[in-house]
Amino acid sequence: MMAKRSTLWLTIISLLIGLVILMALSVSLGSAQISFVNVWRVILSHVPIIDGWIERDWPDSTETIVLDLRMPRILLAAVVGAALALAGALYQGVLRNPLADPFILGVSSGASFGAAMTFVFGIQMVWIGQMTLPVVAFICGFATLMIVYSIARIGQKVRMETIILAGVVVQAFLGACLSLVMSLANEKLQTIVFWMMGSLTLTDWSYNAVVIPVIALTAIVAMMFTRELNMLGLGEEVAYHSGVSVERTRFVLLVLASLMTGAAVAVSGAIGFVGLVVPHMIRLIVGSDYRLILPLSIIGGAIFLVGADTLARVLLAPRELPLGVITAFLGAPFFIYLLRQAKREYF
Amino acid sequence: MLSLQHVSKTVDEQTLVSDVSFDVEAGQCVGLIGPNGAGKSTLMKLISGMYEVTDGQVLLFGQNVKRWSHKKKAQRVSVLTQDGLAPYPMTVYETVMMGCYPHLKFFQRESADDLSRVDHVLTMTGLMNLKDQMLDTLSGGERQRVAIAKAMVQDPDLLLLDEPTSFLDIGYQTEVLNIVKAWQERTGLTVLMVLHDLNLAAQYCDRLILLNQGEIVKQGASDDILNTETLEAVYQTKPEIVRHPVKDIPQILL
Repeated sequence: MMAKRSTLWLTIISLLIGLVILMALSVSLGSAQISFVNVWRVILSHVPIIDGWIERDWPDSTETIVLDLRMPRILLAAVVGAALALAGALYQGVLRNPLADPFILGVSSGASFGAAMTFVFGIQMVWIGQMTLPVVAFICGFATLMIVYSIARIGQKVRMETIILAGVVVQAFLGACLSLVMSLANEKLQTIVFWMMGSLTLTDWSYNAVVIPVIALTAIVAMMFTRELNMLGLGEEVAYHSGVSVERTRFVLLVLASLMTGAAVAVSGAIGFVGLVVPHMIRLIVGSDYRLILPLSIIGGAIFLVGADTLARVLLAPRELPLGVITAFLGAPFFIYLLRQAKREYF
Repeated sequence: MLSLQHVSKTVDEQTLVSDVSFDVEAGQCVGLIGPNGAGKSTLMKLISGMYEVTDGQVLLFGQNVKRWSHKKKAQRVSVLTQDGLAPYPMTVYETVMMGCYPHLKFFQRESADDLSRVDHVLTMTGLMNLKDQMLDTLSGGERQRVAIAKAMVQDPDLLLLDEPTSFLDIGYQTEVLNIVKAWQERTGLTVLMVLHDLNLAAQYCDRLILLNQGEIVKQGASDDILNTETLEAVYQTKPEIVRHPVKDIPQILL
């Protein structure tokens, strides 16, 4: 047991180091030709103590690109990736369905609908200004979950098959509403389509400041339920008889996963594939113990999305590819490879 | 220990259990028998608190089952269902250790005592050599043995078994029940079990309760229940009753 725990920590630490290296590499790459050395001189010049040794001989534009464009975007990619992967793992565990992803209960459809309405009607709330879009998207996403949950609820109980069906139906309905809004949108159409494909282009620090606390808090609370998730895996009745309050645990976890998803979608649009594929990759590699799946999904999701976003920026620079395209192009083949390698059932 | 007082359960105007009353004293092993649809499994779910009674009450250790929190209840009652554990890819060791759950506080780790209890139970149930195997690679019988081990680690006062042997061959059937019996003799555990097999019921239970159409038909020692007239009235088939040559208990032949 001790050996296993130390292996876990070793894995987590090495993956974290990998993530930091990847983020550092990503900051250094981009369409603007700024040398690797200069990028790091800019960053280090803002670190106390070291800053005295560095001579600021670069133009202001360089500083803006590195600090206000690339860094917040890469950080947000990591946070959104972590949130989507963790939410995916939670949905799959709670719903006991390998097809579940962060969007299965309609959270992203609700958020997209909210976002589209914001674009079309140019809604701007006075006291939150440019935050209107993510806030509206987040609220609509969460409201959708509540609607789906109450549809699926019969008496005190919510059956997992029913909630998936309710989610699919509500998702389809909201999809139709979205199509309607888009068909009436005229000149705003492109903005909506672009947003829906998922993108981190419009990121600045304020997005990070809003999203990071929400996601960090929900992730920490969710991590407290790894034992309960494992017991749900053994069967609903088994979990009940082992002392788990099944209904409450599920509700709490669905709410947490949806808050994460809502926050992620609100700032980056619906980026597919991360939440479905990353938890499965982790499962194929480390097995079905949620004490391992949850932390590793967080780091794995961050690595996956930072990598994908870097490719989206760099591959056809200065042109940017839609992030969702890259996540699918990367995720699908690798996932198929892992699936073919798996010798036995793993879910 | 366990007391049912005029317990009824109705779902959509269909009566599943009707006015059932009985007591189970500490240390007893009581068998619930009866034909399919007699309400045995429903009764078990009412006792474990999974279903709520429509009428009457179930008292666990003198307190209404509704008043027990999930965790507190799981500290004193273990339940084994006929489906047992899902073939989930989790090691035997980890699964058995989950029996500690009701005794742990939120976020508390298993103590050294807990771990040695797990080891002890694994040895006792003969699972030590399988401890690193995944549940989904085990046979149904082995998985049921893991379920018992997990229930033992839970360290209950009352064990509820809902047809624990229904999918098992005769070797595993007796093995599972022998493990339960040995456990009972060691700790003074109270056992209530639903059994389909009347011969096993006669061998392993101190007392039998015969149910039919949601009501108790008769309760008492196996000699009082396992006779041709009583069984024919309930099962609509006429069995022959013989004496077990070694154990001197009634056994049925079809």
